[in-house]
Amino acid sequence: MNVTPLARRPLSCLKTSLLRQARQQKMFSRSMATEVQAAAAAATSKTPSQGPDQNFYRLVDKKTKSVRSAFALYPPPLAAAGKPLSPPSTTNPVAALHDLQIKKLDPTGARTALFARTREAAKVGDILLVTHRRGGEPFAGVCLSIRRAGIDTAVLLRNHIGKVGVEMWFKIYNRNVAGIEIVKRRLKRARRARLTYMRKPKHDMGSVAEFVSAWRKSRRVFQTKGAKGKAAGQGGQGGKKKK
Amino acid sequence: MIQLKSMLNCIDNSGAAIVECAMVIGQKRHASIGDRIVVVVQKQRDAGAAGMAAASGAKVKRGDIRHAVVVRTKQKVTRRDGSCIKFDDNACVLINKSGDPIGSRINGVVGMELRKKKWSRILSMAPSQA
Repeated sequence: MNVTPLARRPLSCLKTSLLRQARQQKMFSRSMATEVQAAAAAATSKTPSQGPDQNFYRLVDKKTKSVRSAFALYPPPLAAAGKPLSPPSTTNPVAALHDLQIKKLDPTGARTALFARTREAAKVGDILLVTHRRGGEPFAGVCLSIRRAGIDTAVLLRNHIGKVGVEMWFKIYNRNVAGIEIVKRRLKRARRARLTYMRKPKHDMGSVAEFVSAWRKSRRVFQTKGAKGKAAGQGGQGGKKKK
Repeated sequence: MIQLKSMLNCIDNSGAAIVECAMVIGQKRHASIGDRIVVVVQKQRDAGAAGMAAASGAKVKRGDIRHAVVVRTKQKVTRRDGSCIKFDDNACVLINKSGDPIGSRINGVVGMELRKKKWSRILSMAPSQA
């Protein structure tokens, strides 16, 4: 009974026998692989002390006990150059760079102080006036958000100029920004970090021109009578920050 | 970000109120402040709002195809010093083929980018720049 199918279908028989053989070989190779892995791990731990010539791909040889791995093993670059690896610095290099740049662009620290997280600093909801160094009208607006990002720290101001809403981002450490002044503080602390709702018509503040003109007037009161004529022109520039 | 079918406000006294962008001239990208576009006048400024003089002297009619310069965009425009500007609407000023404005005055703020793109005629007509 058993013989007949073999005789009838010799090919299938061959196939099964071949498969069986292949499976056996696979099993064998698997065990070999595990052996190789273990040996390779041992070799890796040793390698740095040995020379680069030891990094040639090696396979296990039963007699010599050497290992041949599929991956080249390289020593760490600095160790190879003969210098010991210095430990990684504990300070954040990006933050250090920002500090350096801020010190350069804001030597007095006034700009940093104006947007620090303190009680006196400007906050969202305040009306700010930004004066440009390179001509142009100073831009005033409600501060909708402060993006604190080191040297890239910026403020978003919103105003209405002739019935059209205008929003501007200003980098506070920009050299072209001659000064930033607080025209009017928000009465109550804003309960949001970003007042994007003020873009909606319901909450929109409209033009801040009257606040700015009132603030200009109030500044003129404090100046001496003799300087009054000159002061009118300088009104926007003086005070809080220059340079 | 003005592209095909964008609707813009026309802020000069040429007689157009709302126009539709039909083409951006000279580039394959969307138009920004200072770029030239082709527009179709969709809505005329009505006589009541602009006064009799403007109504009689309306230089463009509904359906007219004209050139225009974008002067305000809702999309943020970044300047070289890192500051950004963004308006609440998209607006343009109609010009003729040679680049002169069709209207004689502009009401409303325009972007400062026009200076860089050499639209000094439009800048000088505008009441305020931002």
